[in-house]
Amino acid sequence: MHFRKLIFRRIIEVMAIFFLILTGLFLLFHLSPGDPVSRMVQPGMSAEDASMLISQLGLDQPLWLQYLYYVKNFFTGNFGISFHYGQPVIHIIGRRLPNTILLFTTSVILSAAAGVFWGKLVAWYKGRPIDTWVTILALVCHTLFLPWIALLFIWIFAYHVGWFPLNGMITPEVWINPSAGFLTKAADIGHHMLLPLLTLFIIHVGSYLLIMRSSMLETLKEDYILTARAKGLSEKRVRNRHAAPNAYLPVVTSIGLSLAFSINGGALTETVFSWPGIGRELIFAVSNNDYPLALACFLFISLVVLVANVIVDVLYAYLDPRIRY
Amino acid sequence: MNFSAETRAACNTAAAKRSYNLQRFLDGWALFYENPVGKLGVFLLACFGVMALISYIPPLIDPMYHPMTGVDPWISNATGPSAKHWLGTDNLGRDLFTQLLTGARIAFMVGISAAFMSIVFGTLIGMIAGYAGRVTDAALMRFADMIMVMPSLLVVLLLASLFGQLNIWIIVLLIALFRWPGVSRVIRSQTLSLKQRPFIDMARVAGASHMRIIFRHILPNVLPMACLYMTFRVTSAIIVEAALAFLGFGDPNTVSWGMMLQWVWKTGHMFQAPYWLLPPGICISLITLSFYLIGRAMEEVLDPRLRKEENFE
Repeated sequence: MHFRKLIFRRIIEVMAIFFLILTGLFLLFHLSPGDPVSRMVQPGMSAEDASMLISQLGLDQPLWLQYLYYVKNFFTGNFGISFHYGQPVIHIIGRRLPNTILLFTTSVILSAAAGVFWGKLVAWYKGRPIDTWVTILALVCHTLFLPWIALLFIWIFAYHVGWFPLNGMITPEVWINPSAGFLTKAADIGHHMLLPLLTLFIIHVGSYLLIMRSSMLETLKEDYILTARAKGLSEKRVRNRHAAPNAYLPVVTSIGLSLAFSINGGALTETVFSWPGIGRELIFAVSNNDYPLALACFLFISLVVLVANVIVDVLYAYLDPRIRY
Repeated sequence: MNFSAETRAACNTAAAKRSYNLQRFLDGWALFYENPVGKLGVFLLACFGVMALISYIPPLIDPMYHPMTGVDPWISNATGPSAKHWLGTDNLGRDLFTQLLTGARIAFMVGISAAFMSIVFGTLIGMIAGYAGRVTDAALMRFADMIMVMPSLLVVLLLASLFGQLNIWIIVLLIALFRWPGVSRVIRSQTLSLKQRPFIDMARVAGASHMRIIFRHILPNVLPMACLYMTFRVTSAIIVEAALAFLGFGDPNTVSWGMMLQWVWKTGHMFQAPYWLLPPGICISLITLSFYLIGRAMEEVLDPRLRKEENFE
């Protein structure tokens, strides 16, 4: 009951934020120097096509009506036509979004799981050499410059050692072959995904580890840990059952706060590895002045961040019963 | 690890307020410096400071060493390190070592100015939200939430495309505009707790205006926290600028480390020229590391809970 109410409230909040972003983008688009019509309609288009697109997007209407058109078009999935691809923007988004979500969720989940696991152990062995070294390593990982480490990985593992493909998401030869089964295709994607995943993992694992470590150290000072020890529970049980579950909470919060940061990193990784995701598409669209595509990509990326935020909140409420009651 | 006896002694003589502050600062500094993390951070930062300073010298020796326009007439493609070019040259014959030195200057400039601006915005908004409360607070914090969920790098990219080529100061301003919400949240919560303290009531009873209360009574108390967040913001500002430059949206008239990485990537030299690929990335990573380490050491000084406990374990 309370749980449902909490989630409902968060969804309303997130929708309000999304509307603000939608509106902000609209204002920005119309306030910035330059003509909105020429930005949405490609110069080479035939006159009839252009006038149809203009009336579809409502660009010939007064500003307030344009805004209504804009909101309506968002919900009906009509974003105009990409200059570069010459296709409706929504089709391109539909193809790219799953790739981004695949890379993004896998990297966040893996790095959070590893960070929590190692942070827990390192806090337990506080002051020993393993603690010092892992903490230093985590600090260094956290501050590495992402595009550079991505280039470095390509240079070492793909170019010199040759274990992984240089870039892309699939090998066309494998996919053209009609006898290739689902497993072969999945393995091919996995093979391409490993390096981008490793890059994102290394960048993110450090911060989760450090947060888990300090949160675990705080928890270990609590009285109930002393009680658990006094009861004669094994050290492992105290660590995994009594201390760790309480220490998870700040990590979950920090996942929520760092989602926008992770998406930045995801876009950079996609660009360097030519992973056909929505972040790379946005960077491409911005470089080519392909505004219809750029605006839609940005809106969908914000949507991904917001939805992920709601999921994190739900997870938090699930892990911490105090929030629910 | 309490403040030293001198501090407490200084406290007792009311006239010695100034020396008390100085002593407190020195104690804080001692605590900071005793931490190996802080020491390493300061050392690294000093190295980059020296790099930034000597970056003015090479172009004076020979115009060939100018990071942007200086071209070695004898070199037409990327070459490895030599006595004349300590780190080699890029594909146009420009000296990589001077580019690297100039990059330090740009990183400091961007990092510190963007961080300073975002701290000013964040502190002001946080204090106003916390002090005013009610509708102002709710509105400002929802606005902060909105900015917080937007990926700052991608927003700045989008703005760059809408407004055309950006120069370095516009980039700095944009970074600052999108990095204040985290700070303002912390400052707001501090202001909320300060507001309940008696000395604020006393000030109000004495007839101080809202402005005076905010700037004379609340600001000095939230300033240490603001300084702490500034070091973390420097890190993120340097990274955002470097990433923008790497993607080709930097100021074309400056040489930053991100720009150097973009050149090595875009000209396809990343597999042939490790002497070009490695240094800028190492520098970006190390300068962010140094600010981050300083921030962590400062955190321990400001937050007594994080200090070393003698009797734990």
